[in-house]
Amino acid sequence: MDNRLKQDALIEDALKSYPLAPMPRTITVNVMSRIQKNTRPALVTWSDFVLGFVIAACIAALWFAAQNLPPILLAKIRIQGILLYQDFLVNARWLVPAAMIGLAAVLSALTIPTLLRMTVDRRR
Amino acid sequence: MDSEQTLIQRAQKGNHDAFAALVEEHQRYVYNLALRVVKDENEALDLTQETFVRAWTALPNFRGQSQFRTWLYRIVTNLCYNRLPNLRRSLNDLGDDVMEDISEADSNIPAQEFESNETRKYLYQAIEELDTNYKLLITLRYQSELSYEEIASTLNLPLGTVKTGIFRAKEQLRKSLAHLEESWITV
Repeated sequence: MDNRLKQDALIEDALKSYPLAPMPRTITVNVMSRIQKNTRPALVTWSDFVLGFVIAACIAALWFAAQNLPPILLAKIRIQGILLYQDFLVNARWLVPAAMIGLAAVLSALTIPTLLRMTVDRRR
Repeated sequence: MDSEQTLIQRAQKGNHDAFAALVEEHQRYVYNLALRVVKDENEALDLTQETFVRAWTALPNFRGQSQFRTWLYRIVTNLCYNRLPNLRRSLNDLGDDVMEDISEADSNIPAQEFESNETRKYLYQAIEELDTNYKLLITLRYQSELSYEEIASTLNLPLGTVKTGIFRAKEQLRKSLAHLEESWITV
């Protein structure tokens, strides 16, 4: 047998027969006692509820304020908004697309890692 | 006796006995992988425990797309990466020179081809002395019997890097063997 082939065979044999180290002691009891102490996290936690409540309260406050402002003030705000937008278009044309791209980047940064994690979990 | 799939489903629903059976079944392989990397019994036991605790927490997300043991290996290697920050870098630095399939020699050679059990013991010692990154790859390939693709997925490495790593590990073993053969000639 060619020496290199023989070496390959010896190495392959050693790799395949390399023994598993024996466990010094079983860990099942320890793992189970730790599991019984740490309950699984719920899918929706209390902080999710609190965050959801705060966001909902902010939206409700904005909506309530908009409904109760005097019509003249609403019209002034709308005019100022249009003027500001026109000002951007004339003096800083780059600002609106830049702001849009920035917003898209922020939303992507928030959602893409979660989506990737979900994809990896599904692949598993 | 319940199949592994049934045990996983029961454990996902919160059955502790089913999970204990899974721990009993897989702990030795997880422990061995950790031991080859951290080279310390107590630390390896600690990592094995942590792996199963994390597996319990994440079990509801396990969709069964890969084998349960492959999933466990992914958890334990991530824990090893945390414990040994240089390990990931050394694996990435392997590059991907070897892109073609590595031929695996037929190990069913006649018993008389072995000079003695000494050769095998010498090779075991050489495997033990391999760099940690090579030992991790070798353990996943030969003790855990994962395919190259499964190793790449478990370690989150390109397939070429896995092949290169295993090829180089074997080259190191070949050098050790040549060294042994030379010592026989000189004696």
